[in-house]
Amino acid sequence: MDLLEYQAKELFSEVGIPVLPSQKIYYPQELKHLQIPYPIVVKSQVPMGGRGKAGGIKPAANTIDAVAAAQAIFHLPIYGLYPELVLAEAKYDADRELYVAIVIDRNARRPVLLGSPDGGSGLQVASQSLQRVVVDDTFSPFYARRLAVAMGLRGAAIEAVSLVVEKMYTLFATKDLDLVEINPLALREDGEIMEIMALDGKITTNDNAIERHPDLAQYARDRKADRDRRSKYPSRDPLSASLVTLDQEDRDDSGIGVVCNGAGLTLATVDLLCQAGACPTSFLNLSNEIYWRGGPSLRDRLDRGLELMTANPEIETVLINLVGSVTSCDAIAETILSTADRLAQLGRTFRWIVRLAGHDQALGRQRLEAPDLLHDLIYCPTLDAAIEAGLWAHDPSQDRSQDLSPTVSS
Amino acid sequence: MNISDRTRVLIQGITEPLGQIHTSRMRAYGTSVVAAVSPGYGDQMIAEVPVFDTVSLAIEAVGSIDLTAIFVPPYQVLDAALEAIAAGIRQVVIMTDGVPPMDTIELIRAADAAEALVLGPGSTGVIVPGACLMGTHPVEFYAPGSIGVIGRSSTLDYEVALTLTEAGFGQSICVGLGGNGILGSSFAQWLQLLDEDENTEVIVLIGRVGSTAEEVAARYVEAAIDKPVIAYIAGQYAPTLDSHFGHAGEIVDARLSGIYQRIDDLTIGTAQRKIEAFESAGIRVAHRPSEIPELVRQALTRTTV
Repeated sequence: MDLLEYQAKELFSEVGIPVLPSQKIYYPQELKHLQIPYPIVVKSQVPMGGRGKAGGIKPAANTIDAVAAAQAIFHLPIYGLYPELVLAEAKYDADRELYVAIVIDRNARRPVLLGSPDGGSGLQVASQSLQRVVVDDTFSPFYARRLAVAMGLRGAAIEAVSLVVEKMYTLFATKDLDLVEINPLALREDGEIMEIMALDGKITTNDNAIERHPDLAQYARDRKADRDRRSKYPSRDPLSASLVTLDQEDRDDSGIGVVCNGAGLTLATVDLLCQAGACPTSFLNLSNEIYWRGGPSLRDRLDRGLELMTANPEIETVLINLVGSVTSCDAIAETILSTADRLAQLGRTFRWIVRLAGHDQALGRQRLEAPDLLHDLIYCPTLDAAIEAGLWAHDPSQDRSQDLSPTVSS
Repeated sequence: MNISDRTRVLIQGITEPLGQIHTSRMRAYGTSVVAAVSPGYGDQMIAEVPVFDTVSLAIEAVGSIDLTAIFVPPYQVLDAALEAIAAGIRQVVIMTDGVPPMDTIELIRAADAAEALVLGPGSTGVIVPGACLMGTHPVEFYAPGSIGVIGRSSTLDYEVALTLTEAGFGQSICVGLGGNGILGSSFAQWLQLLDEDENTEVIVLIGRVGSTAEEVAARYVEAAIDKPVIAYIAGQYAPTLDSHFGHAGEIVDARLSGIYQRIDDLTIGTAQRKIEAFESAGIRVAHRPSEIPELVRQALTRTTV
């Protein structure tokens, strides 16, 4: 989960990274009781980069300006999202704006410190200037100083920046973060003193670790509650969040919905349909059998997944491709038939294309090929056969079996 | 790598439901499961395996152990693995999914220092068809032979093994690296192990979109692998990555690994980029799983000529 700017800054404060005085504003009228002296900046709280360019950050010199700015920002969607709140923050004039971040380099399998002397919104263009320091072993402040020096900093700026990076690392490691980023990190020389300030921040939590950090889990619950309060639709469960409806654009709409277990298998099944000329309308990954956090069984996820998939009125054919190692194919077949029965009783009938591989495969097949079956169901022994059946369902007039034979010359 | 039916295996997390199911399956397949560790369950027998409270007690009682298969819940994985390494076990296979990345990094640091091999987290483990299973593979899909398979997609990896078996190509060893997180071992490490394995003649590599693991693997094959490698990449028609809504980590990864120069390149990690990386490394790429056996056959023909 990407934390909002104000949440990131609360965490920065906790570890002693300097941030500006600010106040959360849920309704523009609250600005009349602002505790911060003007001039201020009003900032949209959406979990997206590029807020400034999109018009989500506006300066205000007085209350009238501030209320107008807040009203405009509350009505401005950024990449489709409206803010639940805005942040009113003191305005700051920086001498220099830097970029610093910590992420995990997945190929090196180590945390890496990133820094650029050219921070601010121009970072992407200036990515050539991005410096990196891999934290090979247990963290120690020298890694942060190496980064500061590599960024070209001199004198007091080295210690000022490395101290912030050190505190960022503390957050990164103790809170199991995927990303902590400060952009811009402002530097300002005030006589003899080098002042440093985190003007904007981004923190991405790790979903797997969040349950062992009560404060972060609370942020996630707050966000969900905010969303539910403002939305007609309740938050989506994890399964419906993984239902993908393809942008059809210039393709024929096949009306096929693909249901698989495992990301790779789902992607491969979608690829095969698209290669054959029958791109699915949507697809759903039920995830693997190994499901550690006490979640529902594969059979329960299948039942719920079929409900979700068939709720789309464009779906006419459901192509199920499941490869298992623990759950019996016979039990899966039973679930498919009972879901199909339930939908049929509601007057909703579909063409079912089913391919099951794994434990008790013969029993599953027997159940799905029973002569007294009332459903329009085709059992397919192989993935290629299921694709061919999908193609036929899409366009019965064409025999495209040629397309499925290997194209490699022997 | 010491993986055979003589490899002496420990189970950590045998009291977890999946731990128990898979322990029984491993034993039935011929794996030498010599002990299990579950704190508080010492002196019991579960799935016909003696259970101990600590790893060192298990080793004292049964003798040396070559490999541990870990099924404990995610937040206990680091501790279980460190306990195994501290007791001298040098092969660690983690089936548990959802381990926090910083835990995995700490584990990798300890494993590197001890020169231990870590597979996973979120791994399907290893199967040597006809000999032993240290993982969750559906054994009925596999047959002994000379094709090595490395993947990171569980069910898709199973699918490819089944396709090979049905086409008459048995497998020497099949390895599941784990999903998308931080992983104990990479394609490169297992490519090297399979390149050295005398039972493996052809290596099949199964990739998918997201992360740059395949691009790194392609480079490694070009530089260091002598045996023929065949690849398949899933996700050619997946919706393209969106820089605003996710995959920022993948884009950063790509930049960090030095594979792509532009941090804002939206085609990073796409199937097309991976296929190009493989083809420019001289690796044949199958268009679909059912094409893999034909490419394997051609590779075998070429090597025997």
